[in-house]
Amino acid sequence: MITFAIFFFFAAIAVIFAAVVVLHRNPVVGALSLVASFFALAVMYVLLEAPFLAALQVIVYAGAIMVLFLFVIMLLNLQHQEEPRTRPVQQFLGYTTSAAFGLALIYYLAKFGVTKLPEGPFVSDARTVGIRMFEAYIFPFEMVSILLLAAIVGALILSGRTGAIPPPTGENKL
Amino acid sequence: MIPTHWFLILSAILFALGVCGVLTRKNGITIFMCIELMVNAVNLTFVAYARQFHQIHGLLFVFFVMAIAAAEAAVGLAIFISLFHHRHTIDVDEANLMRW
Amino acid sequence: MHGIDWVDVGLSGLKIAIVLGAMLNVTPIMVWVERRGSALIQDRPGPNRVGPFGLFQSFADALKFVLKEDMLPAKANKVLYTIAPMFGLIPALTTIAVVPWGRPFLLPGGRLFEPIIANVNIGILLIFALASMGVYGIVMAGWASANKYSLFGGIRASAQMISYELSLTLAAVSALMVAGSLSLTDVVWRQTGSFVLFNTIKLPAWNICSPAMWMSFIVFFVSAFAETNRLPFDFAEADAELVAGYHTEYSSMKFALFFMSEYMAMATMSALITTLFLGGWDVPWYNEPPTAFGFAVSVLAFLVKVSIILFIFVWVRWTIPRLKYDLLMKLGWKVFLPMAVGNVVLVAWFIAKRWI
Repeated sequence: MITFAIFFFFAAIAVIFAAVVVLHRNPVVGALSLVASFFALAVMYVLLEAPFLAALQVIVYAGAIMVLFLFVIMLLNLQHQEEPRTRPVQQFLGYTTSAAFGLALIYYLAKFGVTKLPEGPFVSDARTVGIRMFEAYIFPFEMVSILLLAAIVGALILSGRTGAIPPPTGENKL
Repeated sequence: MIPTHWFLILSAILFALGVCGVLTRKNGITIFMCIELMVNAVNLTFVAYARQFHQIHGLLFVFFVMAIAAAEAAVGLAIFISLFHHRHTIDVDEANLMRW
Repeated sequence: MHGIDWVDVGLSGLKIAIVLGAMLNVTPIMVWVERRGSALIQDRPGPNRVGPFGLFQSFADALKFVLKEDMLPAKANKVLYTIAPMFGLIPALTTIAVVPWGRPFLLPGGRLFEPIIANVNIGILLIFALASMGVYGIVMAGWASANKYSLFGGIRASAQMISYELSLTLAAVSALMVAGSLSLTDVVWRQTGSFVLFNTIKLPAWNICSPAMWMSFIVFFVSAFAETNRLPFDFAEADAELVAGYHTEYSSMKFALFFMSEYMAMATMSALITTLFLGGWDVPWYNEPPTAFGFAVSVLAFLVKVSIILFIFVWVRWTIPRLKYDLLMKLGWKVFLPMAVGNVVLVAWFIAKRWI
């Protein structure tokens, strides 16, 4: 009973803040709403009996990736840039396509929904995940670490300033 | 016990919102955030099915997806920063040097 | 769902009341300790007018905060400006929920009273998750104030916090590896008892007494300073350089909330340091019985250890000068992170060799 209340409350939070991300003009407000949405998703993971993953979601997504987004927005001073209006035909097509796609997905998921769960508890704590990671999934694990190294090097090189940087003008009214 | 297809429907709604954002917005950072939203919707699907079948492979896949999404966010934002330095605008329609 | 166990709910409510009361009272006590302690170190009397030994100074400060005018800068983003101090408070108040503060003992009805609010499997990950949320309070405060200095202070503070979160996490991992579990109750239970050195000296089995943990203790201790924005790492609220950093534009109760959240985060970090390295509620060389007496003695031991660490926080603040920002970041990434990773490898070797 109370799990249903928690589910609906946090699902509403996730959807509402995701809608704010999609619709609001200001990217800082969008980034902070996305953080709230990720937090609600972490609660969903707890409801799905995966608390380890919920903590990881908050630590990695809400705590690191979104801070990176906020840094980039604030350091490039993007909140003062006016985003030009999207062409009406693009807006109309975008909304209708995504709405149709979403409704089709929801229809088929509701039609073929399964409600029976297997017996027994779902063991999803850190110990089990760790053992499985280092036994069956050791190769993807090492590959992801190399990929992260490549990402670090790539980000460093790409953001190195090679073009001319405009001198700070007086328009940057903070 | 919350039925699994409720979680899948929530995931579908979030994914559709992400698609809407990517198709409709012009701000590069907002498009990135909608991509992250889509990735998270998929993560939720994985975890829902992991619980449905009591398999831990779903959780491990989410683990890897999170790591890769972090790498992708870092590199994508670096690309966006260098784009911004050259064009001084955040409109992705302005990144059109390779248009035929 | 079966009937609710009301005794359980009542006991949880009691635990929450006790811990919340303790956390909310940390700030006035620490304000007094800070001001008298700094006066002691700087060879001056300190506040001694308001009450005996200046003990009621905190009440005077609280009254001042309540009576000041609550401003809102004209160009500030109203919503974010208002909720930023709350984001600072949330990690400070919620992370203490997974720290065990006493020995579990048997109540008269045969029920086990566990003095920890939330005994979850993933104990310490919750602390790291909520500590990452604290960064947002600072970033939002700096940005929403519509002030250049606040923005710089906010960005610097958040960059510092996320850099030192890494070394904090890895230094804690070495203590967790020894315990074999993420739950802090298991970490403390592992540190009860004692081990014998050279067949004569009986040392308590605290994590700090084993040489594999010394590096990670130092890394964790210093990273705790960086996480709570205390000197020598408080470049974000540097009094002389940045006016007041990210809380320049805040006054009265909102500033008081930032102030309180800093002291509460300090208290939580001290509680974490004692739990991970100093044995938590364990009284050295004494086997506490699972009775109310053992519980009281263990709570006393916990409070003594936390108080000692809090005093060291104050002591370091008034002794060591502030670190320059680029040196601070170099220290975090180039010194502490390799040290913490090296210590994880060292502890793994010790565990493999069964020395620990």
